[in-house]
Amino acid sequence: MTDATMTITREPMPPGDRRSSRRPGPWHAALWIAPAAAVIVFVFAYALYQLVIQSFKYKSEWTGWDNFRIVVTDPLFRTALKHNMELLLCVPVLIAVALLLAIVLSETIRGHTFFRGVLFFPYILPVTVVGVVLGQLLTLNGPVNTALNGMGLGKFAADWLGDPNIALWTMGGVIVWKEVGFGIVLFLARILSLPNETYEAAALDGAGFWRKHWSITLPQMTGVIAFYAVTEAIVMVSWVFNYVYIMTNGQGGPGDSTVVTELYIYRSAFQNQQIELAAAAAVILFLITLFLVVIFFRLQRKSLLAVVGE
Amino acid sequence: MAKISSPMARAGSFSRYVLLAVCALSALLPGYIMVTGALKTQDEFLNSPWALPAHPSLTSFATSWSAGLPSWFVNTIIVTAGAVVGVMVLSALAAWGFAYWQFKGRETLLGVIVSLMVVPPVVLLIPLFQFGAQLGWISTFRIVILIYIGLMLPFSIYLLANFFSAIPASLLEAAQIDGASTGAIFRRIVLPLSGPPIATLAVVNILWAWNELLLALVFLQDPEKHTLMVGIASFRGRYSLDIPTVMAGLTLVTLPLVVAYLVGQRFFIQGLTAGGIKGE
Amino acid sequence: MRKTIKAAALLGVAALTLAACSSGSGGGTTSPSASGGSTAASPMATGPVTLTMHWWGDQEAPGAKKWLDAAITAYQTAHPNITIKETLETTDGLIPNFEAAAAAKTPLDIQYFWGGIYAQQPHWNGNTAAISDFISADELAHYTNAQMEDSYQGKIVSAPWYVNPSFPVLVNKDLLAKNGLTVPMTWTDFLKTCDTLSAKGIPTIAGGVKDGWFGGWLYSLLGAQSLTSQKQVLDAVVGNAKFTDPALGDWWTRLEESQKHKCWNSDINSQELYQAQQLFVDQKAAMTVTAGPDAPNFATKAGGPDKIEVMAMPAWSDGPLAGKIASSSQTLGIPSWSEHKAEAADFIKFLHTPEQLQAWYDMTGSLPADDRFDLTQVTDPIKKSLFAGGSDNVPYMENFIPAQLDSDAVFKNVQLVLKGSETGAAAAADMQAQMERLRTTDRDLVTNFTNWASGQ
Repeated sequence: MTDATMTITREPMPPGDRRSSRRPGPWHAALWIAPAAAVIVFVFAYALYQLVIQSFKYKSEWTGWDNFRIVVTDPLFRTALKHNMELLLCVPVLIAVALLLAIVLSETIRGHTFFRGVLFFPYILPVTVVGVVLGQLLTLNGPVNTALNGMGLGKFAADWLGDPNIALWTMGGVIVWKEVGFGIVLFLARILSLPNETYEAAALDGAGFWRKHWSITLPQMTGVIAFYAVTEAIVMVSWVFNYVYIMTNGQGGPGDSTVVTELYIYRSAFQNQQIELAAAAAVILFLITLFLVVIFFRLQRKSLLAVVGE
Repeated sequence: MAKISSPMARAGSFSRYVLLAVCALSALLPGYIMVTGALKTQDEFLNSPWALPAHPSLTSFATSWSAGLPSWFVNTIIVTAGAVVGVMVLSALAAWGFAYWQFKGRETLLGVIVSLMVVPPVVLLIPLFQFGAQLGWISTFRIVILIYIGLMLPFSIYLLANFFSAIPASLLEAAQIDGASTGAIFRRIVLPLSGPPIATLAVVNILWAWNELLLALVFLQDPEKHTLMVGIASFRGRYSLDIPTVMAGLTLVTLPLVVAYLVGQRFFIQGLTAGGIKGE
Repeated sequence: MRKTIKAAALLGVAALTLAACSSGSGGGTTSPSASGGSTAASPMATGPVTLTMHWWGDQEAPGAKKWLDAAITAYQTAHPNITIKETLETTDGLIPNFEAAAAAKTPLDIQYFWGGIYAQQPHWNGNTAAISDFISADELAHYTNAQMEDSYQGKIVSAPWYVNPSFPVLVNKDLLAKNGLTVPMTWTDFLKTCDTLSAKGIPTIAGGVKDGWFGGWLYSLLGAQSLTSQKQVLDAVVGNAKFTDPALGDWWTRLEESQKHKCWNSDINSQELYQAQQLFVDQKAAMTVTAGPDAPNFATKAGGPDKIEVMAMPAWSDGPLAGKIASSSQTLGIPSWSEHKAEAADFIKFLHTPEQLQAWYDMTGSLPADDRFDLTQVTDPIKKSLFAGGSDNVPYMENFIPAQLDSDAVFKNVQLVLKGSETGAAAAADMQAQMERLRTTDRDLVTNFTNWASGQ
């Protein structure tokens, strides 16, 4: 409906300048933003406000820092935090695997779409399904160990989810399995947008696979790698509840070995009747996440500037 | 990507395919176990999990279907549709508000909203549950839909605001000078152009709402209101002795996703990585 | 008592909703029609009344729903102005739905609770009215385990309905005989059996602890044997005794022994309980533990009374509770905000009339929680041994510890001991440490348990 003929008869506006006397004042923006803002305020601001208030009370009485003191001195809470930190160690693994696969995929022409589609597939599966199926696969006498034994790799067979020493890492492995697809596709898109000339020059120089990518590809990917790293770090801290809940029947077992902070909060509130303690623990988790959020925000700042600022 | 046909390169090419094949296999094998398991008997599954089913049978599918799958499907569709429609409308309106006007603090406000993407849902769960309990809204769809909308808004606003700001000013100015109201501009110019991002955003949001477990678990306690994810979580417990039935149920639950993925792989990939690519 | 703990795992919704509405309605007396529980003759409404009932139990006592529906029909015929709506809850939903109803005060008149701590805690939270305010003490005296599990400060908080023998051990005599063994009644015999069978790669006893709550069963099956009364457990909870004291803590070492002698299936840590029990049904393990009311069915599935024997856990102590199957009763209680408490109580009483008791046994094959039930009619040997245990009033210890101690200390340490990662002594020490921590994090615990103990 707006077509080129109309614009041609206009006097050209200064590029990027959207201010026009015909445009309603900025407070109109409030009208458009208000409905969404109302929901956000309710779901986030109201909830956080109530959470903080509750963390300072016990049965409607103000108790100051009591709840925080109890939570912070609770060995189980510290264990939960430690486990989240340990899961963070999976992030470099994720990055390395995703990078390798993305690079290999970028050099593959035949079957490119097929492999990309297959490798990305686990990412769209519900965690619930992934948790149940992989949980079944990893039982002591389950398919994975059966296969390992069958291939003569029996010494690698282990009680993946039943051994307290490795259960958490098994969980990390499952998370990696599911999340790596995201990284592959992300990195792939970036790699494919890199100009060919440098690669051709390097090939003429006789650069091999590893050197080529180490000196050319990687340096140009720092931005997207950082984004992926922060996103996955956030996952390891605040979005692993589903995995633990499904694969350990909500117990965080064997023993305590897979208790993570989200599970601690959930159990304190819904299992142990200690909502105020759960609230305090939730506030602490939120503050930790906030730290990651700030980093995330700064990373996005550049793109946000491009979006909204001129 | 220069292609050189030397022995080195061909060896490299071979190992490439081996690597990709191994990884592709590991991505697909759990699905294989799930589907073949659904067609086997319990004994067959436990004794020869990797073999193809000797006498494929659909009884497990029938059992799992009658365990409540249809009702779970319907509930999931209600919740997903309600939440996604809601978030698309609200985020489109808000994104336009951010894109079209300059105001003080716009960048900060948008930044804050976008950063809300990373708040762990379990943190919000407790106060929202208490609020819902007081109102008697536990086990209603409206509270879950409302919270889903809230959680999906940050990313949706971000994505759409991104797109809307990229619409050439000239198109908008033309309509402005003609005296079109903001609403008309939005309706007649912006929306028609926004097909692709709206489609990819819809895919992302549908996927998120469809797969969500924790909130549905806590808020939809009435078995009649269970969504698919909540249903499987308890279903797995009830049928722990009947693995083929569990696998059949999981297969049925995953089927819509697989079909959608095969049809619109492009949308999934684009949508889910849209946030990240902008990070350059 | 399937998934007892897992359902109680959502028990905490109580506190949530309690705080949501700033004061849960006190001890629940909207219209106390009886004075101090001395008489049950409260005036019942004459106008139309609808009673809403949420319950559980068909899962562990198949046939319960049929029985309940028939009972409701009979009662409605006798009381034409009263209509009763019943809802069978899922295991996971039972407690959360109750708590949500408590918060929103949705109409609810009869609620099912497992015995002991599970009936006590809602009362401590102000969500149930004491059943003894509406049913006379004489009547309640017939209800099995009412005094032992459900009494608090002179009142009975919830009314026992049916007995859950907790928990019978099933033994496959044939499998033992094939390997030249007899049924082990003592712990030493049991360990010897384990040695013999494990040498042949056969698990002596099948179990699964991945989902945790089998640990709670083991706690009672082994831990009760060195005790004389549940009071000792309550004492340790409030701090007058320790869980490391020999009477309370030695059972952990027995558990450790069972692991060292390879008594269990090797995948016990990656199996849920019901999955592991399959080994027994498939004749691949010599023993297993099963839920009480379901045991006769289970035994039939595994080969019938000729092959299968029901017994208590092999005795490692010579205390009065050793060698006996514990008894716990599942109960029906009245929510504190119910507007028809008198009518609800009357219906509960009706369920204890002779016809209903008989019908319960006929339709479910399990024992109603009433000593007026005629036991002489039971001839099936498996049922006889089950019911004998059920009438003995041997306390089921898991019902006397805080639910959080159960999941934080018992489940966890059972998993670790059975894995071989922890010694029995360390497990006992951890349980004591958890209890000490729990006394600080649960600020009402000591008061509640002290009051409870004083009435035992």
